[in-house]
Formats: sequence, structure tokens, C-alpha cells
Amino acid sequence: MADDATTRLYQAFVSQDAGAAIAAIERVKKGGTPQEQLFDTIFAPALSLLGGAWAMGSIDEITFTQASVVAEQITSFVAPPVTAQDTGVTVIIGSMHRDHHSMGKNIIAATLKEAGHRVVDMGVDVRPSDFMERLEETGARIVIVCADMVGTALDVSRVREMFSSAGHEEVLILVAGGPFSADPALAKSVGANGIIKGAESALKLVGRIAREKLGGG
Amino acid sequence: MADRSQQSALAEGLARQGHVQPAVEACHAALRIDDSDPRIHCLLAELMLAGDFYDEAIVSASRAIWLDAECSPAYLALGLAYDRRGGMWDQSILVWHELAEVEPELVIAHVQLGEAFSAAAFDDEAIDAWRRALELDPTEARAMYNLAVAALKKEGMATALPGFRKAGELDPSQDDLFFELAGIYDDGNPAPDPADVPDDRQARLDAAGALAFEEDFFAAAELIRLVLDENADDAEALGLVAYLYLKQEAVNEAMACALRALTISTRTPTAVYCLGVSFSKRPGLSRNAARVFSALAKAVPHNAMPHVLYAESLLGLQRYGLAAQSYRKALQLDPACVRARFGLAAVLLTEGAYADATWEIRRAAYHDTRRQGLFWQLYDAYSGGKP
Repeated sequence: MADDATTRLYQAFVSQDAGAAIAAIERVKKGGTPQEQLFDTIFAPALSLLGGAWAMGSIDEITFTQASVVAEQITSFVAPPVTAQDTGVTVIIGSMHRDHHSMGKNIIAATLKEAGHRVVDMGVDVRPSDFMERLEETGARIVIVCADMVGTALDVSRVREMFSSAGHEEVLILVAGGPFSADPALAKSVGANGIIKGAESALKLVGRIAREKLGGG
Repeated sequence: MADRSQQSALAEGLARQGHVQPAVEACHAALRIDDSDPRIHCLLAELMLAGDFYDEAIVSASRAIWLDAECSPAYLALGLAYDRRGGMWDQSILVWHELAEVEPELVIAHVQLGEAFSAAAFDDEAIDAWRRALELDPTEARAMYNLAVAALKKEGMATALPGFRKAGELDPSQDDLFFELAGIYDDGNPAPDPADVPDDRQARLDAAGALAFEEDFFAAAELIRLVLDENADDAEALGLVAYLYLKQEAVNEAMACALRALTISTRTPTAVYCLGVSFSKRPGLSRNAARVFSALAKAVPHNAMPHVLYAESLLGLQRYGLAAQSYRKALQLDPACVRARFGLAAVLLTEGAYADATWEIRRAAYHDTRRQGLFWQLYDAYSGGKP
């Protein structure tokens, strides 16, 4: 099946027929091959055939180039998805009020977004009431509060207090920033549920929460 | 006067040969005779820098500039000393700005100015300086690495990664890996005329390799065509032609030839390299690239570059911890690998280790300026206009 499909795709390349190439790919897809395997299953072997044909002189340089152009045109049909599937998990992120450090927050937000989480980036200098407002708008259950100064790190307790007073005790607050990495006890004292020590740590922690507590991800 | 010139020449000669301590002694001897020659002060600054005596380097370079405000090598030494000493970003910005004024066409002055701005958190000014550097020299890899780091800080890894790869392509070290894998070395002789190449496989492959080294891709491709006409299953020839396509941005042709070569023989390192690079140019194929570069890193463990390429593909998979390991491995093998230093800096930024990231970028700057021999270029140009 795959060999036939490979040959069909190769022939579509050589005859510069993008439509036939897409049809060959769709047939394999309908046969149950997932999107992320299409490249290895059909595209790479067809390209190998193309390289072999050019090496043997069965196709000339111009045909080789034109076939490669067709391969280029249909690459998006076989390439694994560039962005991960939507996990359905909403994460609110922002830097604490009076804290204008954005770098760590930006990197964590982009990493979570890339991994398929729905990230609401509130920027820097975010007041506890703004976190609260956005929480109620989105129904998110994970809030990441970044703070890179001891003073603003201590202020994270105000976010927890505000959530609690509005009956949102179930919301998980994760904290990120130098003061929390240096003193893990600080996170507990401000009512945080976990510390994020960088982008990969954020992925792991949010992924685990999504699996264990939210039943998603 | 004759004594002074003799001591100056001695100091300069010793410094050029890397004999730091005797060169320092000769500089002091020259200064005892006449301490008004800025060249000796800036030579002393460079020597102090080489020995990691930053404060002494700052004193000597400042003295040279005080004696002659046009003494460009002294600005270079002073700026590097400020950067490497750390905590003197305001002075550093001033010095690089001055050097950019004295030598407006000096690309590295703009690159360094950008790094000084960035360290002082003037991100927009930093980006402007790196863009200026790229205007002057579109192949300036370090400016591109810095722009990639700036993109990481603002928009995350997915936006930054193409910049790292683009910078990597500007950096000649990646091509060096291919030629090492292909067994092609620069023997100082020009590549042969294709018409004079004997009619046998090895001679043609060797000549094609030499022509590829000289970036005469069309002549190289014609010779490989002759090899393939005799044996279409020549994996080495296919590996080499894949590289030629890659250099002409024909990624699918490169991938086709590399895949064909590996179908014939999985032990074709040049084809493995070309396949990995082709994959890394395609969004979404980081997993494929990681598989290929992991195999390449195992096949040539002594070379830093496969570890760097593997690390970059891991960045695309958000495996930052593993990427850091791979970058560190590369730096153990080659501490002067600028690409690995910037990559590691990027990973450190994702971990929130900003000071460590800045340190890696400073080390990259140090190795890059040394590799380019900039001090001596400026020194010779400056001395050329002096009696």
C-alpha cells in the first residue's frame, strides 16, 4: 500500500501534477496514516525515488527541478503540524504589579502557546484585580504570576487573597522569577501552588496539572 | 630614538607571536624610553586583555586614547576590557560608540555596541546597532545571533530559532563540518580545471570536492554528473551533490539526493549531514532533524558542530535541558564555538539564568574577535598611517 502510494507520489512529482500528488497523499491519510507520519511514510521515500531517477539519468535536470517545485508545493500536506494541537487548557500569565520585567514571562508564554495551551498574556505591571477580572472572563484555572523583585514577589499574596475572597480557591497560582527560584519557601508563603523555573519547567508543570487536575492535555 | 623603535618592534613582534610575558616586559622597556607612543600603550592593553587583567587593560587603552583620540585598536581593547570585566556597560557603550565613529565601516564595532546596549537593557538601540552591522556586512553571523536572542526575549523560541539557523549558515563552521566529513581539506592549492581532471571516479570526486570548497558549484556538479553516469548508485557522489543543492537553497533536491544516498548506504556521513540540514530548514521537521543529527553526533563525537546542530533541533522540540547538555558537550570540544555559546545563552534565557546567558554571549564575543584577528587589523591600519 505504502509502496504503491510512494510510486504514485513520485510519478505525480515527475509529471508535475500537484493535484495527483495531493490525491496520493489523501489516499494514504484515509488509509489511517496519521498526519505526523505522512512525511516519513510517503514523502521521503518518494523523494528518494526522485533522487535515484535523477542519478540514473531517467529524468533530466529540468524535470528534477520542476518535480522538486511540486514537492515544495505539497509539503504542507505531509509535514507534521507546526503548532501542537489545542490542549484546551487556558493559562493566564502576567508580571506582577509594579514589575516591568518581561523577558522570562514572554519566553514562558510563547513556549506554552507553542505547546498548544491557550495563553492569555496580560503583559507587565498587572494588578491583582486585573488578574481576577481576566480569570472570571476566561474561566482559567491556572494563573502564572511572574515577579523578578523581592517586593513584587511578596505582593503575589495579594493575588491569592483576591482569588480566595471571590471564592476562587481552586485556581492554581504558579509563580516564576528570580526570588522564587532562590527561595522556594517564598512561593509557599505567598500562597502559590508551584514554582516555574524556566520554560521547560513551565511545560512540565502545566502539562502535569492539565493531566492530573484538569483532566486535559 | 633608535632604542625606542627597537623596543617597540620587539614588543610588537613578541605580542604577534603570542609571547605575552616577554612582550609585556618589552612594552614597559619601550615606555621607559618614551611613554608618548599610543601604539605601545594599546599593545600593552591587548596583552593585558589576553592575560585577563581587565583593569590594567582599561588603564593602558585609556592612556593610548588620551594620547591619540584616533587610536582605533585602543578603542577595541578598551571596549573588550569593559565588556569582559562586566558591570561597566555605560562606559562600554561610549567606547563602542566612539569606535563606530572612528571606524564607521568596522562591522564589529556595531555588533559590540549592540551587545553593550543589550546588556544595559536598551533593547531597541541594540537591535538598531545589529541591523546596522548587517547592513554593512549581511554575512555578519554574530549580529544575526544577537538578533535571534533578541527575538527570543520578546517572542519566544519558535520565532528565534530560524534566526539561529540563519546565523549558523552565515557562520563558516557548518561548512567546515561538511568538508571534514567529506575528507576535503584546504591544501592551499587552487581547485583543478574540470577539463584537466583524469577520467576516474576518485579524481573526479576529489576535484568536485575542491571546486565545492571554492564555491564553484556548477563545475563541481558537472564532474559529479560524470561519476553518476558511470555508477548511479555512488552514495558518496550523491552526498556531495546534495551539499551542492543545499548551498543553492534547493532543499528538496538536496533531500532527494541525500535520501537516495542513504538508501544505497546508511554509512554516508555527508548524506546524513545534508539530510539533517534539509530537515532543519523545514518547519515541523525538528523531530526528523533531531534523529539525524543525533546519529551524526554519535558518528563524529569529536567534532563540536554535530552536537550544536543536534541541540538546535532539540530547541525546536522544546527540549531545552537536553539542548543545554548538547551545547555544553560542543563547548567542551571547542570552547571557541560562537554558535554553541549563543545557543547555550538562549537555553539559559529560557531557564531564567540571565547573568549566565550574558556571560556566554561575552565569551562568544571574545572568541569571535580573536578568531577574526581584529586587533591586529586595526593596529596595522593605524600604524600604517604613523611614522
